[in-house]
Amino acid sequence: MIGIITLISGLILGYMGQRSRFCTISGIRDFYLVRDVYRLKGLIGVIIGGIIGFSIVNVAGGDLPGFPLLAEGLKIEPWVLIPLSVMGAFGMAYFSVMAEGCPFRQHVIAGEGRMSGILYLTGLVAGVIFFDIVIVPYLQLATLLG
Amino acid sequence: MKIKMPRFKLAGQLALITGLTMGVGAAVVQGYFGVQPPVGEGVCLVTHPSNLVNWIANNLFGTNFTIHGIFVAVPTLLPVGVIIGSIIAAIIHKEFKFRRGPVRDNLLAFIFGFLVINFGLLWGSCPIRTAVLSSYGMVFAMVILVVIVAGVIAASEYIKWKVRRMR
Repeated sequence: MIGIITLISGLILGYMGQRSRFCTISGIRDFYLVRDVYRLKGLIGVIIGGIIGFSIVNVAGGDLPGFPLLAEGLKIEPWVLIPLSVMGAFGMAYFSVMAEGCPFRQHVIAGEGRMSGILYLTGLVAGVIFFDIVIVPYLQLATLLG
Repeated sequence: MKIKMPRFKLAGQLALITGLTMGVGAAVVQGYFGVQPPVGEGVCLVTHPSNLVNWIANNLFGTNFTIHGIFVAVPTLLPVGVIIGSIIAAIIHKEFKFRRGPVRDNLLAFIFGFLVINFGLLWGSCPIRTAVLSSYGMVFAMVILVVIVAGVIAASEYIKWKVRRMR
């Protein structure tokens, strides 16, 4: 069931993403560089859609554990993960600008037949394996020490 | 007297509509179809591809890579769906064509994919899921969203500096 749901979600979002040129990173970049808000509206739409969706699903009895999480504040354990997360988010954003799109956009342009999108996804697969083999043991160590 | 209606062109709002669909969709698949834990996992193009790659590696090569609980038995097919959905849209609208770009250097494109997924996995989400988690009320995700904006600004400033230097 999960496989089918994720596949259908992906098909719909992939189709919409190709038609709309949706990209979170380019949205922020376009607004910063040329004050173009078209793609930025997509990122704002995710936040607004999420607030509306989660609120309705919560009221309608859907399974949303702990929603809303606001009361928890910055409850991250262990603390050593916070600088790593900040570094990760900054690096992801920085190199996504260099790659001309967020990971979602790269999947979409790979589907359009763009060579750099296809090679980006190849790098992504290699990166996942690298992360599992090299980075995860260090993260486990940092978590234990933290 | 003629009343002037505000103009609203659907074509100009497609990105907004896509974003809204993602936000609402993430809530629905989590709340009603059990795509959790972790929370806000409905749409993420960092964790879903990594879960899929790890699932394939674990099942083909007997490795023991980490997979989110919900995807242990059945893999996520979101990344596959996004690619196929994009192919369908591109073919229907006659935009499908094997061509270079947008990154001109093929090796750089590979390296960017490699770097983005590693940095993304350090945080554990793509920008879309970060936005979804923010709307779920996670304060740390809101902080990370600001960090993402800072990262984009830093890269944009680097590009501007590079362009100025080339002139």
